[in-house]
Formats: sequence, structure tokens, C-alpha cells
Amino acid sequence: MIARLSAFGSQHFSSETLLRLIALLAALGLLVIGLLFPLFSMLIKSLQDRSGDFVGLANFAKYIHTPALVGSIANSLFVALTSTAIVVGLAFLCAYGITRTCMSGKRVFRMISLLPILAPSLLPAISLVYLFGNQGWFRGVLMDESIYGPIGIIIGMCFWIFPHALMILTTALSNSDARLYEAAEALGTPKWRSFLTITLPGARYGLISCAFVVFTLAITDFGVPKIIGGQFSVLATDIYSQVVGQQNFQMGAVVSVILLLPALASFVVDRWIQRRQVAQLSARAVPWQPTPSPLRDRCFTFICYTIGAAILLIIGTAIYASLVQFWPYNLSLTFKHYTFEALAGGGWAAWFNSLTLAFSVALIGTLVIFFNAWLIEKSEGYRSLRQGLHFLAMLPMAVPGMVLGLAYIFFFNQADNPLNWIYGTMAILVLNTLVHFYTVCHLTSVTALKQLDPEFEAAGASLKVPFWTTFRRVTLPVSLPAVLDISVYLFVNTMTTVSAVVFLYNSDTRLASVAVMHLDEAGYFASAAAMAVLIFFTSLAVKIAHAALTRLLLTRAQSWRQTSQTSTA
Amino acid sequence: MSILTHPLHLDTHAKAHSLSADNHLEIHHLTKQFGAFTALQKIDLSIREGEFVCFLGPSGCGKTTLLRAIAGLAPQSSGRIIQRGQDISRLPPQSRDFGIVFQSYALFPNLTVFDNIAYGLRNRRDDRHGMRNRVSELLALVDLAGSEAKYPAALSGGQQQRVALARALATEPGLLLLDEPLSALDARVRVHLRSQIKALQARLGVTTIMVTHDQEEALSMADRIVVMNHGVIEQIGTPAEIYRQPASAFVAEFIGSMNFIDVHPEGSHALRLGQRLLTCPNHDYADDYQARLAIRPESIQLCAKKDGLAVLVEHIEFLGAFLRVTLSLEDTQQRLTADVALRDAETLGLVPGAILGAQLPTDALRLYPSQEARV
Repeated sequence: MIARLSAFGSQHFSSETLLRLIALLAALGLLVIGLLFPLFSMLIKSLQDRSGDFVGLANFAKYIHTPALVGSIANSLFVALTSTAIVVGLAFLCAYGITRTCMSGKRVFRMISLLPILAPSLLPAISLVYLFGNQGWFRGVLMDESIYGPIGIIIGMCFWIFPHALMILTTALSNSDARLYEAAEALGTPKWRSFLTITLPGARYGLISCAFVVFTLAITDFGVPKIIGGQFSVLATDIYSQVVGQQNFQMGAVVSVILLLPALASFVVDRWIQRRQVAQLSARAVPWQPTPSPLRDRCFTFICYTIGAAILLIIGTAIYASLVQFWPYNLSLTFKHYTFEALAGGGWAAWFNSLTLAFSVALIGTLVIFFNAWLIEKSEGYRSLRQGLHFLAMLPMAVPGMVLGLAYIFFFNQADNPLNWIYGTMAILVLNTLVHFYTVCHLTSVTALKQLDPEFEAAGASLKVPFWTTFRRVTLPVSLPAVLDISVYLFVNTMTTVSAVVFLYNSDTRLASVAVMHLDEAGYFASAAAMAVLIFFTSLAVKIAHAALTRLLLTRAQSWRQTSQTSTA
Repeated sequence: MSILTHPLHLDTHAKAHSLSADNHLEIHHLTKQFGAFTALQKIDLSIREGEFVCFLGPSGCGKTTLLRAIAGLAPQSSGRIIQRGQDISRLPPQSRDFGIVFQSYALFPNLTVFDNIAYGLRNRRDDRHGMRNRVSELLALVDLAGSEAKYPAALSGGQQQRVALARALATEPGLLLLDEPLSALDARVRVHLRSQIKALQARLGVTTIMVTHDQEEALSMADRIVVMNHGVIEQIGTPAEIYRQPASAFVAEFIGSMNFIDVHPEGSHALRLGQRLLTCPNHDYADDYQARLAIRPESIQLCAKKDGLAVLVEHIEFLGAFLRVTLSLEDTQQRLTADVALRDAETLGLVPGAILGAQLPTDALRLYPSQEARV
């Protein structure tokens, strides 16, 4: 009897733990196939010649001796560093205004400031051409300088990176402890000194982290320089022109490896800083409340709304340009640019494809990434496996979209790859996009999961309930707001991304964001603007629906959530 | 055998082993390692059917680790756990027979009190009606009848604690594990719940293990206390045994307050304290140069100077029901504290600076190796 019982027991033991192990291995498989193997194929490719023979660093040597290519390194660094300086500075001012002053219209400004995220990075570039291009309204402002080149790239970058920087810095600056400021005031410290000794040190990790995020986004972006770069080539556009223009895959791989370096370096430094960051805010900290100060408040209102106006101007220009007959000669309004008939890019079919892709990635990605994060965070045992998975989940942030897309060609387009069949299908686009945006979703999931009582799983197990039941009945519902955030993040990014998917679509799976690029290349500027605006409004609609849904769910869950918040406060 | 130094728990331990048929749980040579750190070292322990046992010790002593090993939540590195004759050492928590209340309660915030308590019942596919009855029965048991539809956040800490208890008891486990169940509560609620839990346990007769760092809680609730330190068991015994005959200086110091005086053994019947020779029962320290004599503050009797060891009254602290007096031995300058009833203070003429006598009753003395010898 006892023997039978224990035999039953050990069977039970294996079934549930085995299932966990299988799930962990599946997560590992996803990231190995979706990330590591392709990157590895790309590294190999950079060391081969056209016929596939190993040539060592010969391709790199050739790269260095081609001035047109090497020059892009300096161009990329220049553009990225300048954009970083501008964006971090402006975003810090605005974040300070939002968190530390009584400026008016904070909510409206925050909403405006998030708009650029909803558009592909092609949109600001298109608008800038309309504003400052050869037939632009404000051409005179640039004197004799051309918008096609570093100026246009930097302005475009600043536009669409700004929201990312603002979000990080707002979070960093809203963590304040009023007690420190009161202590400083009691000691007779002047305001500027409190700023230098309390505010800045308190936000320093946020600032550093923000600078690295902005730099990485700027150096890896493809959309802005593609449209407005002109003769000014950067690394991301070089990859595209080498691969698509010259069919030189080896050189594409070389440029990819080079583009991977700054991104990887910034990733490593950022991780290192994050590890050194300790919670400076104890649970007893008293949040600091700004007191009105008319002059300061008005200054910050002015700064923020100037930036807000610039954002609205750029978006508004794209919308307007997509609606006029023929810029700048016939300004009567029309919807004809939205028909996309007989034009390059795939038209409305591409938009439907993008929608399908975005919903698929949002649905599959949210479930997969959240479940994997849960496995990593809440499993007992398999320590090294879980740590390895966490590292792999962090890695996609360091891999530029262009590099990931090209790596997918090298890996999945090999004839002897058993997964070769997914090449050219919607499936490869889903996999690629999911991996591309994995890290932020993973971090959001981990943060949400860390806030849960660490004993939920143990409590479930002690009540003899299988782990998947506790996941379904407790973990998932309690983390629903984070899960919804992840899904809308995935949706919007999938809708707007160009870089990774530009290598992977085929005639059946054209995408709206790629269509913008093709329309622009073919000279249909108004239709390109129309498609970009279409993407923008699609993202906006989903974002609004998400906000409404979140609100609804929170009111429905208010009975337990709100009370629990007040009781912990 | 000497009375003064022999730890009493060995007797009870031996007895427990001989009655192994009645044992609910037997733990053999249980060791738990976290990397190079040994959290539990070769723990041997048996717990009788229906017993209320407390694991008591300072934080980091391994008591919670031991509880989680018994639950299967943090499996041991080596050693065996036998529950009712069945070896459960390798079973996952799901296959073990226990209910647990966590320190944080871990109530599911999105489920009502009913769903929380019925969480483990659903799994057994009990019929709706039976489940409803069982939940209201359990709620009545913990004095929360009618709270089915509330969410945990709407309950006070003490009420949440009782819901957690009801949830743990819902599946009628043979073993109830309580991980510092009262530590998150106000002092007043804690004292009330203490007696409530104890009464409930006695009524249900469920074998219970409670982890606590609060000695008062352990002394008032437990049938037996397991005192732990640095991953080993220092002593196992009833609360009275633990208090009166602490097996080690650590236990003596950890439970209640204790005076330690350095003395020099002279033969196996006497101890030298300064100029004085104290007579005492047999001890095993005849060969040692130094030993530590321990006595509780309430056991020290103050008297006129001529009737005891001469002591100087240094400081008097008023604690309501009694006075805590700091004394220094005139001979050796060693400090002692004594608890003196208010009434006695007056007759003694207890004022700071007074010189009085102190008597150390033989039956209240314990002797431990000196601190140097321990190192």
C-alpha cells in the first residue's frame, strides 16, 4: 500500500515538474531559434565570400578600405550622439515640468507627447520634407542647408524618440522624497543647490539609462534616414542598400556586425548600471508635492507647449499633405491619396496584412512572453536554465531591427533548414516581430510579477491545485493591467516598425509600414503620407480602445483592487 | 549523573522515539544547503499525532527553512521525512498531506473569501452544495460567518489571517503548518488570535507546527518547543522545561532574561565566586578553570547584607508589577539583575546605593561552559 502510494506520488511529481521543464525548454527553444541561431548565421556569413567559403576577416578588411562605407560609422555616431544630447535635454526639461512644477495642462501635454510613438518613424521624415524640402513652407529657415541629410535625420529622430525619453525621465523624476527637500530647506539651502545635490543625483540612473536607450534607438533607426537621409548614409541604410540594392549579403552582414557593436556596448553598460542601482526610495518616503510659483510654472508651460506644438505640427503636416490634391500647387482637399490604386506597396491589402500581423503578435506575443516571464520568475529549481532564459530575453533590446531581419534571411532561407518553409510567410513576420520587441514586454511582465505575493504559487501547491490553475485563476487576472499594456505595446510597435520586416515580407505579406517606404521611393509622396497617417490613426484607435478597456476592467475589478491599494497606502 | 548540567530533552527525545507508532512526522538527518551555506544541519525530530509544536529561534536560524522542507516547498539537500509511516522526502507539495498559513497569508486578492477557502476544494470536484456547506462551516469555525462575498482587501489583518487559516484547513489536512502567522498583526490582535488558534487546534486535534521568533507566543501556545540556532536544534522540550532547564547558554539567553556570572569550579560540588565558595549540586565542570552560572532575575532573592552575597544596588527600573534592579556583586564587580516585587522593595530598603545581600537558590541555578571554552 505504502509502496503504491509513493509510486503514485512520484508519478505526480514527474507530471507537473516535467511539464514545467518542458515549458521552460520550449521558451528556450523559441529564443534560440528566433534569436541566437539567426545571429550566429549572420556572424558566419560575415566571414564567408559569395560562394560560401570561409575567408576570415577579409570582408571586414574590404569594408575598412571602402571610404563610402566606413564614412557611415562617423555619420551614424554623429547623428546618434547629437540626437541623444537634444532629446535627453528637452525630455528632461519637460519631465521636470510635469513632475516638479505646477504648470498647467499637464495631462494634455502628456497625451500630445506620446503621439509620435503611434506613427512609424517614416512619418516625421515625410513631414519634414513637406515643411523644409525644396517646395516646403519653411525652406528659408534652413538658409542654404538642405533638409536632406543630417539636419533632417536629427530632427526626425528627435521627434519619434522623444516620447521614450520622456517616459523614462518622468518615472525617474517622480520618485522624490519630500523629506530630503524639507531637510535642505531647514538648513537654508538655496533652490539651485537642492537641485544639484538632491534632484540630479536622485535621477542620475534614470538619466543614464535614458541616454543609452535614446542612443540605441537613434543609431539603429532605419525609417528616418531612409526617407530624408539623401546622400548622407548611416549604418542602418547601408545594410539595406547593400542587401536590397546590391545583393551583397556578405557586406550586409559585415555592416550588421558593426551596427551590433554600439548597440551591444550600450546594452552592457546599461545592464551594469542597472545592477548598481539600488532602491533609493524607502517605503517611508513622502512624495514631494510642487507648490505654485507663477514665473517658473509659466516658463515650463511655454517650453512644454512649444515642444507639443512642434509634435502637432509634424503630425498635422503629414495629415494635411495626405489630403491635398497636389502640394504645393493645388491645395484643395481630397481623399484620392487614400485609394492607393495601381501604386507601389500593396495599398489597402498591405494595411490589412499589418493589422493581421499586429493582432497576431499582440495576442501570441503577450501570452508567450508573459507566461515565459512567469516561468522564469516563479519556478523552483532549474536555476541556471532560468537565468539563461532571462539573459536571452534581455538580449533582443541590443539587436537592431535591421540586423535581426537580415539574420532571419541568413538562417531561415538556408535550403537545409527544416524551418525553411516559414520563410516568406506571415509566421516568420510574427516570430521576428515578437523577438524584436521581446525585452520591454519581458521586463514589464517581470516587474508586474515581482509585485505579487511570492507565496501565491506555494499557496496553490499546498492546496493541491496544479500550477496552471493558479496561473489562470490568480496570476493572470491580477496582472491584467500589465498584460494589456504589453499587448498594446506589441500592437503599436508591430504596426509602425519597418526595420526588421523590410527584409522578410513577400508579395502576399506586404506591410503598411513598408508600403510607406516604397510609395516614397516611387515618388508618390502624398500616398506615402496617407499610408503613414493611416498607420498612425490605426495605432491611435487601438490605443484609445486599450485605455477604455483598461478602465472598464479596473472598474470591474475595483471591488478588490482599489481597496487593496488604499489599504496598502 | 549531575542534575545541574544535564539537558533534560534527551529523555523526552528518547521517549518520543520509542513511541514511533504514535508519531505523525519523523525527520531524520535533514540537511539543507544553499550553495556553501548550510541552512539546516542534520536535523532529527519527531512530532506526535495531535501535538502543537513551535519552531523557535532568531531570524536566520533555519526554522522557516525546516518548515518549507516539511511542506516540500524547498526540498532538503539530504535526509528523510516520514509522515504517518510514508516516506514523503521526494514528494512535491501537491502530493503531501498538509495545509499551510503563510506569513503574508498569500490570500488571492482577486477572489472572494468564499473562492479563497474553496480554492483547494474545487480541485477535488466536491459538489457545489457540499462545498458551500464546508465553507460556511469553516467560516463559523474562525468566527467569520457570513463573510463569503467579501474580498480579502476589505478585511482587517486579523480577519485575513483567519481566512488563511480556514483555507488551509479546508481540505482537512493531517498536518497544519503556520509560518509566523501572527507576526504581521497588532500586539492586541495577536494575543487574542493566539488563544483562538490554540483552542481551534485543540478542538480539531490536528497536528500543528508553528514557526515563530516570538518566545512568548511559543511558550503560551506550544505543547513542545524546538529551539533552533544556526541550523541546528538547541533543545526540544515543553515550555516549562525550556524555561526552567535550558539545555544551553543560547537557550537560556534567548528565552526570558537570564543572568550569567563567571565562576570557578572547585571539585564537583562547589563553585568559587570571588572570595565566596558557593555550594551547589553535582556538576561536570570540575576540570574546567571557569564556567558560567546562570540564574533568572525572578529567582534571585534579596535579603539583608549578612544573609547573602553582598551586592550594591546600582539602578532601579520601575516596570509596573515589579521592579527590575541592577546589582553589582561587591566581590567581583559582576552585574546582576533581579526582579523584586513592589511590596518587598519597601521592607528591604531598596534604594540606589544601598548594599544588600543576594541569595541564589540552588534549584534555580544552571551551569554552562565558559564563553572562552565554547570558542
